Amino acid sequence: MKRLSARNASGYMFLTPWLLGFFLLAIGPILVSLYLSFTRYDMVGDPRWVGFDNYVYMFTRDRRFWKALEVTFHYVIFAVPLRLIMALGVAMLLDKGLKTIGLYRAIFYLPSLLGASIAIAILWRQLFAIDGVVNQVLAVFGIEGIGWITNPSTSIYTLVVLAIWQFGAPMLIFLAGLRGIPRDLYEAADIDGTSAFRKFYAITLPMLAPVIFFNLVLQIIEAFKVFSPAFIISNGTGGPADSMLVYTVYLFNEAFKFFRMGYASGLAWVLLVIIGTFTAIAFATSKYWVHYENERD
Amino acid sequence: MAISRRKFLATTGGVALAAGLPSLPALAQDRSIRHFWWGNPDRDRRTFDVIEVFEKNHEGISVSGETIGWGDYWTKMATQTAGRNMADLVQMDYRFLFEYVRRGALQELDPFIGNGLDLSNFDKGPLSGGMVDGKLYALNIGSNSQVFVYNTKVFEDAGITTDVINWTWDDFANVCKTITEKTGGKIKGSDDCSVVLETCECWIRQNGRTFFGEEGDVIATPEDIAGYWQFWLDLRNAGALREKDKSLDANLPMSDVGVVSGDTAISNFWSNQIVGVQALMQDTVGAAMVPHKPDGEPGQFIKPSMFMSLSRDSKDPEAAIMYMNDWINDPEETKILGLERGIPANPEVRKALAPDFTPAEKVSVDYFNAIQDKVGPLPPPEPKGAGEVRDAFIRAGTDVVLGNAEPQQAAELFIDDAQAIIDRAR
Repeated sequence: MKRLSARNASGYMFLTPWLLGFFLLAIGPILVSLYLSFTRYDMVGDPRWVGFDNYVYMFTRDRRFWKALEVTFHYVIFAVPLRLIMALGVAMLLDKGLKTIGLYRAIFYLPSLLGASIAIAILWRQLFAIDGVVNQVLAVFGIEGIGWITNPSTSIYTLVVLAIWQFGAPMLIFLAGLRGIPRDLYEAADIDGTSAFRKFYAITLPMLAPVIFFNLVLQIIEAFKVFSPAFIISNGTGGPADSMLVYTVYLFNEAFKFFRMGYASGLAWVLLVIIGTFTAIAFATSKYWVHYENERD
Repeated sequence: MAISRRKFLATTGGVALAAGLPSLPALAQDRSIRHFWWGNPDRDRRTFDVIEVFEKNHEGISVSGETIGWGDYWTKMATQTAGRNMADLVQMDYRFLFEYVRRGALQELDPFIGNGLDLSNFDKGPLSGGMVDGKLYALNIGSNSQVFVYNTKVFEDAGITTDVINWTWDDFANVCKTITEKTGGKIKGSDDCSVVLETCECWIRQNGRTFFGEEGDVIATPEDIAGYWQFWLDLRNAGALREKDKSLDANLPMSDVGVVSGDTAISNFWSNQIVGVQALMQDTVGAAMVPHKPDGEPGQFIKPSMFMSLSRDSKDPEAAIMYMNDWINDPEETKILGLERGIPANPEVRKALAPDFTPAEKVSVDYFNAIQDKVGPLPPPEPKGAGEVRDAFIRAGTDVVLGNAEPQQAAELFIDDAQAIIDRAR
């Protein structure tokens, strides 16, 4: 035992820089924000302890909070499955063993590299503007376009389309997963004369389940945290009639527009609980549909 | 023309800033101050020219200018206030002045009066607009009032001869319908002002109330607001307003506003924007008052359009006050600034400017003179949370324009919300 801890000491020594960073830059602020969520704090004066007031207001009186939740769920429900389907589809195409796979992989990954950038969000705003590219293309076919972004019933879908377009990261992971499926399974199926759909359903999906699960969890977390595209495209306002008011944009406005740092901290913690809950649900259900290679059934 | 190193650096610096690059590191000078304003291309050009003049007159002080559009200005300002790195001099708006003073972000200017800041020539009225609790926190750098800018050519072609200084809401509606009809719907009568709180405020004042009372409570009634929305809704149903999609953004860039883009004949603006609007248009602009109610109270008021304030974070208040003083008194600088930020409160300056007015400047000064006896008093200062109430108004108005809510129920909900926002901000 003694020998062990002595051996570990050097390990901890090497970990020190990282541990310091973790405690000072991550855990510290996280705990401070938890404290702040029970206060009223406008960043100029000192925080004033108000107990559960922020949370009570949030759940009982704050209509925009519920609206933000509604918009965010709407976004998550559409963006996550569609992005995953797109990523898997493209990954399967690339898995066909193209000669120039490297090139295509890079091309398809490009939008995701650019995705977080402000430039793309601004480009998106131009694309879907009333006199933007999308409407000009529609006009060629004689279709009268609408203001996709200024119209509350369509604005959220411009964000969803942007999310689908940025399928690069999950695609790469799917591609790696597909490569890992033993070829002899497919060969056996070919000898039995199995249809392509059946092969996909009976071999690819089950074998890929762990990778799908991994991607699903990551994408859910990411989608709940969506910020910059919504912020840029709606000019920071959350769009017409709050139709693009995703949760983080609301949080940002509460914090940096109205200086309710205490309230915004509370919002952040509620978001943490929500994301945690959904991740937990994903894990809980996973044992019914995700099987790992090394498991003994 | 010989270009000195200083001048070269100052101009290139100006160009780089105008291009939206982060400000250059201060040159090897002992003192530097920052000036932050919300702007438009024309205003930015003038301001950078003024900075150049100031640096020429004050060797050893460098000024870095920072500018951004109105919509983002307050976000950035808020962030800088929180981060305790506000620019020395910030442009202030009447709507936000009280909020910033109450948060302790601005310095009192009284100690500098006669002590670096020469206000001996200043009109008293505009000066009082920058006072909070009897102390001066913001120097008026221009006055303005609400205005409906119209396209004179479209009016002429449609045969409109209405007196646009004294017109009523009914006259306005008829003008809108006539223009839409005469142009076959190609040009609509007007932009929809359902989400414009400033115009709604005029409507409320005509009913004999203000939006906020002396104590900062919401004293406008749901009927005031509903009546206002109903007016626009009726006009929309008559087909005389711009399409819905372009009527929901209260912060449209100037070039996208109806009268500028040619979609409408009339749009709402502030009077100091007339020059900027004309710069973007082929046809000559005219200036109309916000329509009146027969037997109603005056709706419009003359408000300080912009202030310059000294921030709490200023490292060199002395240099900052020098800059502020030159801004309102220096003949060369005031000439460059012209009327772009509003009508200057220094009669000497106004006299000096008059001979060189462009037609658009003349329109705005004539308008300003014409409305003098038709405006009411400045409304009481707005309470903390007023900016947020404006956002709520835009949201509620949007619902009405889109037909998601009836004016009456939307108005009741909005008044409720507005009061809740004010209560919460206390």
